[in-house]
Amino acid sequence: MIRLENVTKSYSAEVIALRDAGFDIAKGEFVFLVGPSGSGKSTLLRMLNRQERPERGAVWVAGRNIVDMPPGRVPHLRRNIGNIFQDYKLLLEKTVFENVAFAQEVIGRPKHVIKQQVPAVLELVGLAGKEDRLPHQLSGGEQQRVSIARAFVNRPLILLADEPTGNLDPATGEGIMRLLDRINKTGTTVVMATHDQRIVNTMRKRVIQLDRGVIVRDQARGVYE
Amino acid sequence: MLSRLRYTFRETFDSFRRNATLTLAAIITAAISLLGVGLTLLSQKGFDNLLSKWEGGVEMIIFVNAGATEDQLGVIETALGNAPTFIDSFSYCDAQCSLDEAQVVLAGEPGVLELLNETNIPTQFKVIPTEGTDVDFLRLLEGEFITLPNVFDVQFAEDQISLIGQLQNFFGFRLLLLSIFLLLAAVLLIWNTIRTAIFARRREIEVMKLVGATDWFIRIPFMLEGLLHGIIGGVLASGGLWAWNTQWTNGVGEFPPGSGFAALVVTDGYDKTVMLIMLAIGALAGAIGSGIAASRFLDV
Repeated sequence: MIRLENVTKSYSAEVIALRDAGFDIAKGEFVFLVGPSGSGKSTLLRMLNRQERPERGAVWVAGRNIVDMPPGRVPHLRRNIGNIFQDYKLLLEKTVFENVAFAQEVIGRPKHVIKQQVPAVLELVGLAGKEDRLPHQLSGGEQQRVSIARAFVNRPLILLADEPTGNLDPATGEGIMRLLDRINKTGTTVVMATHDQRIVNTMRKRVIQLDRGVIVRDQARGVYE
Repeated sequence: MLSRLRYTFRETFDSFRRNATLTLAAIITAAISLLGVGLTLLSQKGFDNLLSKWEGGVEMIIFVNAGATEDQLGVIETALGNAPTFIDSFSYCDAQCSLDEAQVVLAGEPGVLELLNETNIPTQFKVIPTEGTDVDFLRLLEGEFITLPNVFDVQFAEDQISLIGQLQNFFGFRLLLLSIFLLLAAVLLIWNTIRTAIFARRREIEVMKLVGATDWFIRIPFMLEGLLHGIIGGVLASGGLWAWNTQWTNGVGEFPPGSGFAALVVTDGYDKTVMLIMLAIGALAGAIGSGIAASRFLDV
């Protein structure tokens, strides 16, 4: 599903975000990216949805090298990738329903499909009955669930999560992880960058560890260390 | 398709609402600049009307009393034909031709026009001199023509054309320059309004991009917004032009006959053409301003 081949990315001569990074992620895998701040986790995630491009190397997503993908094709790539962020990135003046529906609306899904699929995904993330609430009327965990619903509503092949539990208390974070695990079990590949040692150690999924842009460990059923 | 259209229009009008002050400023600036363009075109047309009787290189007009007989006209024709070295050609504008011309030249004096008919309007000989003929020499000939029977006046283009041309250039150039500056200001204001709208919605745009919206899908509501600024400005300017032209036409009608302003009235539907031109320029200015902004600032 995802393959990186000798990927190098630098922001300046001194700041090298990734150095000769390479790995394969199979369809349906759940992978943690771990490492200290500035180790290259977020850059790697941004590279997978073509927000960044490497100087060298190839990035394969769903069978296509996306490094030289024409700009016009990038939106179609992104329709197969869901994104979850630490700060949720919700639209504050839109309701829960509208936030999730927005992801379908902007890719031209018909209204009747939106009306059918949005309540279903809100039910899946445990937000049934809160469709009309605005983001500020929700807890942090609930806001992250809206963000997950928005990322998942178009049934992407891949879900990229950048510190999704970073702003949440441990109990709420666990709830979010259970949700991501459920989504992963539907066949969606999940790649998650995290600092949360407890979560990584509890989940026992594949762990890719980065240090100053270099992959220093790639371990199946790994722990944080 | 329907849902995309609905989305586009909803976003466009939402942006109008959110950005009301800047939107209003952009529309008013566009309207004022377009009104300037419209007034320039109308005034140029007015000056063209004033000059219409001198079209085709005519340098001298011999006015003949209404009711002159064929023989009397023949005497003038012979006198003109006897000076082939200085006169290249001449044409006779009969009563009907003179009435047609009066419709343009005296458009602002309906009272005078009403009194004119085929029996009382002076007819004209329009004279085109040979190349290189000194107009001063034609002035010498004037003394000969003015004494012919039934000739009541001889006019020279130079006297009128130089003054009218000077006025036309003076007003036309300055009005056009002002209009261009204002139009540029309108484009910049529309550009800035769209840039502000994009900035205000940067979070939304970021999310849209991440979920796979195409650049055009994101761009079109902003471009439509700018286009509407220009078109609404054009509509307001058309209304302003109509009001101005009506006031001007009525005002000139009340001037004493022969005041010289009569020809500056535009009554042949040209004002409608100018309104269409203003709408087209407004739409173009809006599209350019918003198109540049939407293309340039979309990377949020």
